[in-house]
Amino acid sequence: MRSVSDAIIERTSMPPVQADNPEHAAELLARIASEKSRAAFAELFRYFAPRLQAYATRQFGNEQTAMDLVQETMANVWHKAHLFKPDRGSAATWIFTIARNIRFDFLRKNKHRQHDLSADDLWPILAEENESLDDDYALDNDLLMQQLAVYTESLPKAQRIVIQLIYIEGKSQQEVADALDIPLGTVKSRTRLALQKLKELIQHHD
Amino acid sequence: MIKFHPSEQHLVHYMLGELSPAMLMMVGSHIDLCPHCQHHLRDVEEHYAMKLFGQRQMPLPDLDEETMLDAIFQSSSAPVVPILETRDYLNLEGKRFKLPPTLARNGERIGPWSRMLGKMWRAPIEIGSGETLNFIYMEQGAQVPEHTHRGSEATLVVNGVFNDEVDEYRDGDFVLLDGHHKHTPQTHHDDCLTLATIDAPMQFTSGLSRLLNPFSSLFLK
Repeated sequence: MRSVSDAIIERTSMPPVQADNPEHAAELLARIASEKSRAAFAELFRYFAPRLQAYATRQFGNEQTAMDLVQETMANVWHKAHLFKPDRGSAATWIFTIARNIRFDFLRKNKHRQHDLSADDLWPILAEENESLDDDYALDNDLLMQQLAVYTESLPKAQRIVIQLIYIEGKSQQEVADALDIPLGTVKSRTRLALQKLKELIQHHD
Repeated sequence: MIKFHPSEQHLVHYMLGELSPAMLMMVGSHIDLCPHCQHHLRDVEEHYAMKLFGQRQMPLPDLDEETMLDAIFQSSSAPVVPILETRDYLNLEGKRFKLPPTLARNGERIGPWSRMLGKMWRAPIEIGSGETLNFIYMEQGAQVPEHTHRGSEATLVVNGVFNDEVDEYRDGDFVLLDGHHKHTPQTHHDDCLTLATIDAPMQFTSGLSRLLNPFSSLFLK
């Protein structure tokens, strides 16, 4: 155990640190993202790792778990630096939220908490969100829906209603059966016939 | 315009992951719907991160920086968190409700609808914590008999309008009632989809108060 006075003596002899400058920290993350700069990462690491370790030790009261949290957090910083968005907050905040997520999942897995929510589902800060991919998908999806809507017009009314409820409103076949007050088997056969007809229409137009 | 928000304490504890699972879902969904609280949350995060990382700190004796750095450089890329499967809409009675992202990301936890009494429907959300978290849907002109709660009741309006004796609650409003409140929620011309948890005391779990206390002047003015 170190005494408080040891810690104070050490602190007074501390070298100046650069990584606590927010612009500089953001720049280091950018260099990690763009060129996998080990020097940039080492500089961030030397600043953030000891502070994370102090936080985690207070949180867990267990040295090994604390070290695991530091390592896992900083490994995410190294591999996921491209997900840091400077316009959404500082580098310190981003790193803190990563540590928060890891801590949350540690506590759940260690059965301190009885539930099965995952940190990624609550705070999806490390989810790859390929925005352009999303946009493309959304566009294609819209286009597809528009085309389908045109084809759907030529279906018999009973089939058209079933298709609209299932594919446009997202209902299950059972929900459609309940809503229209018809047997589930009828919904299934109308769906099958309608899809067959749509397929013919689409192939015909291609 | 959202009139009713979670307290600042709720936001802080949400940010730290220190609310009960049901309340994490409730507060997270409110934040999804509320630009005001999104801002506030960002401020709270910045403050907290500054407090945490802004202090001078020497490496603790058992942190072998070089070994850990090497281990990180050698590590294969952390598993990619895929673009999350989401359930963006909830359907009931021919109606379609857009879910706030927190709920959409947890879509597979949403159970089937069942009719409660009269014009009310319920769908449970399974979070494995033993807490009661439900979607409650009130058709137009529905009324819940007057009741009190043993514990507290938190309600978030996801879509629509409901009233009680005290006020009117609309999209995004977050209402926390303790066991002393008597109330009679009802709908008039609009229907209303809410997310609700009962017996949800302000569960600030774990030893976080230790950490929080030094900063309470910042957050809890």
